[in-house]
Amino acid sequence: MTTLSPNVFKSELKPIWCPGCGDYGVVQALYRALSAIGRPPHEVAFISGIGCSSRIPGYSTAYGFNTVHGRALPVAQGVKMANPDLLVLVAGGDGDGFSIGGGHVPHAIRRNMDLTYLVMDNQVYGLTKGQLSPTSPRGLETVTSVYGSFEQPINPLLTVLSAGAGFVAQGTPADMPGLATLVEEAIRYPGFAFINVQSPCVTYGEDDQQLRAHKTRMKSLDSVGHDPSNFMQALEKSTQYGTELYTGVFYRNPNPPKSYDVLVRERQETLKPAAVPRERMLDMFLQK
Amino acid sequence: MVTDIVIGMAGSGGDGIVSAGDSLVSAAAREGFHAVMTKSFGPQIRGGESSCRVRLSTERLHNPGGALDVAVALNWDDFLKFGAELKVDGHTIVVYDSKTGIAPDKLPLVGVMPAEVFSVPLTDLTKSSAGTEKAKTSVVLGLLSGWIGLSREVLLAGLKRKFGKKGEELLAANERAFEAGFTYAAEHPMKKPLLMQQPLTKGMGKLLTDGNDITAAAALFSGCQFFGGYPITPSTEVMQLLGREIWKYGGAMVQAEDEIAGIGMTVGASFAGKKAMTATSGPGMDLKTEVLGLASIAELPLVLLNVMRGGPSTGLPTKPEQSDLFQACFSAHGDVLRPVLAPTCVADSFDVTVEAFNLAEHYQTPVIILSDQEIAQRKETVDPIDASKYTVLERRKPTESELQKYARFAPTETGISPISNPGMQGGAYLASGIEHNELGAPSASGAVHSRMNEKRFRKFATLHQRRDLVRVEGDPEAPLALIAWGSIAGVCREALGKAKAEGLPVKLLVPTLVYPFVEDVWREFLMSVKAGLVVEQSYQGQLYRMMRMFLDVPPGISSFARSGANPFQPVEVLARLKELSFSLQGRVSETQRRDA
Repeated sequence: MTTLSPNVFKSELKPIWCPGCGDYGVVQALYRALSAIGRPPHEVAFISGIGCSSRIPGYSTAYGFNTVHGRALPVAQGVKMANPDLLVLVAGGDGDGFSIGGGHVPHAIRRNMDLTYLVMDNQVYGLTKGQLSPTSPRGLETVTSVYGSFEQPINPLLTVLSAGAGFVAQGTPADMPGLATLVEEAIRYPGFAFINVQSPCVTYGEDDQQLRAHKTRMKSLDSVGHDPSNFMQALEKSTQYGTELYTGVFYRNPNPPKSYDVLVRERQETLKPAAVPRERMLDMFLQK
Repeated sequence: MVTDIVIGMAGSGGDGIVSAGDSLVSAAAREGFHAVMTKSFGPQIRGGESSCRVRLSTERLHNPGGALDVAVALNWDDFLKFGAELKVDGHTIVVYDSKTGIAPDKLPLVGVMPAEVFSVPLTDLTKSSAGTEKAKTSVVLGLLSGWIGLSREVLLAGLKRKFGKKGEELLAANERAFEAGFTYAAEHPMKKPLLMQQPLTKGMGKLLTDGNDITAAAALFSGCQFFGGYPITPSTEVMQLLGREIWKYGGAMVQAEDEIAGIGMTVGASFAGKKAMTATSGPGMDLKTEVLGLASIAELPLVLLNVMRGGPSTGLPTKPEQSDLFQACFSAHGDVLRPVLAPTCVADSFDVTVEAFNLAEHYQTPVIILSDQEIAQRKETVDPIDASKYTVLERRKPTESELQKYARFAPTETGISPISNPGMQGGAYLASGIEHNELGAPSASGAVHSRMNEKRFRKFATLHQRRDLVRVEGDPEAPLALIAWGSIAGVCREALGKAKAEGLPVKLLVPTLVYPFVEDVWREFLMSVKAGLVVEQSYQGQLYRMMRMFLDVPPGISSFARSGANPFQPVEVLARLKELSFSLQGRVSETQRRDA
């Protein structure tokens, strides 16, 4: 396989994110990861929902599909079913994935197709200018929670772990090379892989959620002796979401089951001999 | 000898009424009859009331028929729950279980005096012959076989297929029950025999299926390789059949977590280059609307089957209605045009589904098929279909040279742009729900938006010319007209035949492409019309209202519409036509008088 430079994956569209947005680092990490994987851009399908971060497929030279709010996962699963050879990436924000599209997350996980799902989690709605998000900390004052919010935030890591995801990681663009490695590992995992990217909103985000703060707060799971093959440890570490900024792999199933797309292929192969020629399709209704 | 007979039966959930109906149509199909069977249930899953109507004929059938020739009531409480669906009138022969304790001259049928009444000791006959009460419908089959002359051997062979696997004892019990019924019929002949004339040819090669199953088979025939959907009555059989068959053809069926995911996956599969389909009913249509708009703006082919039921909301989940027409045509924000097709019978569901895939792939658009509960779940004999006569279209892929400088939404003369799919080198682009330019790049420019809107409407120019997608039947110069779509078209076809037999000149228009209107055909049709009816199973008369929106409708045309689960009878349509004819004559003679 010829090596492809990260630039091969960079499109001509100029991102319209705010200067200083965390998503710039995320897209850089993606270019790097895809370069390391080495599949050419036309074999990659990059599906997103709606939100600032969902613009990301447009900035890559892969096939992209910027769908509707909250529906990136279903569309991506349809793509994978139609052509399991494709490398399928899914991206969106915390609102897209855990609010409007939240119903799809556990089902995509239990279906376990070989997909990589990146959530750019900034704890706020940026595109609609600063409202409460499902991961906003309790009490946050925003334009839609003027006196502070009553809801406790969703914990994305705990949510996907409890739904049975085989690969769960967290990264930040404050450590772009580290994030690139995580994306690469997620792509290589043969099943549904989830990365929560703490990607700061420079315009509406809180001060302790900015890149500068990340640089001092982030703590690699390696450095605290975390064993990513230990599910209970992963659960325990993931409960620190919102207090500790862990980076790295929380959980990697040491014995990944066959992914859905592999099972589908096997079923197709098994049943193929029973196919009838198309012109004889209606014979199944014949009164003999 | 009769050539056409309608039998209606009702009982409780466990009686096996529908199964008996299946046995009847299956035997009839083997004998070479044309047959239609509709089922109707109460809302209960188990138990509750259930009924079926079986219509047999030596001629091709267009609908389940009107009032019953033979009514079979295992008990009256259940029978009466299907008042409109199992209509009894003065020509009906009523057969019921004498165990109900109701005297033959005291039947609970208000204002109706049936032609003949048989109070049959059904329960006793069953017990004495089969040794159990559970074979009641086998006695009924024996009775019917004897009375209408449907082959005893073929029906018995059917019982063997049905019960053979369940053990010899059960089979023998049902055979004895059948014989008991057959003998009873021979000993109690009808005053006016209802013996069926035998068809000229035996039923070899006839298909027996329903609208949902044949739609699924047509999808496979068209090359559909993906189905994403969510179970919903009365469309679920489509995903069930595809879930059994689609793998053999390299495809996949996914039962999604909800209706939105179902169509989301379908759009994804289409983006990835496969022919894809989803199916639902009214409440699911509501949920799928947003993604349907995505498919329109991203110009991705997909077929969406809506098997209509009564609405709004949960409505009448098990009964047919034609009230989703407005929704199919107009439920979208933004300016959208998408083809809406409607089958008129089971066989037609095959043609319409193949057409739907062709339109979807050719125009790169979602296409909606509006079927309804009656067509979807009614069993019908279908004459052999010569599949080689059908064209199957594929989407327009980019050529090598087009891939050199690929523009996904290239402004071609037809408005149809070459479409690539992931995996195709040089064809990478961004598909999006956001407005985009010819290259697929997002844009908020008014100029781009109006240009792309124009392209998305222009590409349908040839669709508006598809005269073959509107059928005109009857006398082309007739001043009297019927207009109908979907299952109701079958009722009107029969009314048209009856009118012709009575010397009443009538014509009928049936749009397969319900929307957009193929305006030329409609205009020509309406030109000679002095009076007419738009017959529809919806409270509002939605097609009539749409005609007023898009066409110049002559003042003599009126809406003949009613809510779902209240079937139209061909004879009442005929009666309305006669009234219109009389008033026309009156109007004409008055004009003549004035002129004189």
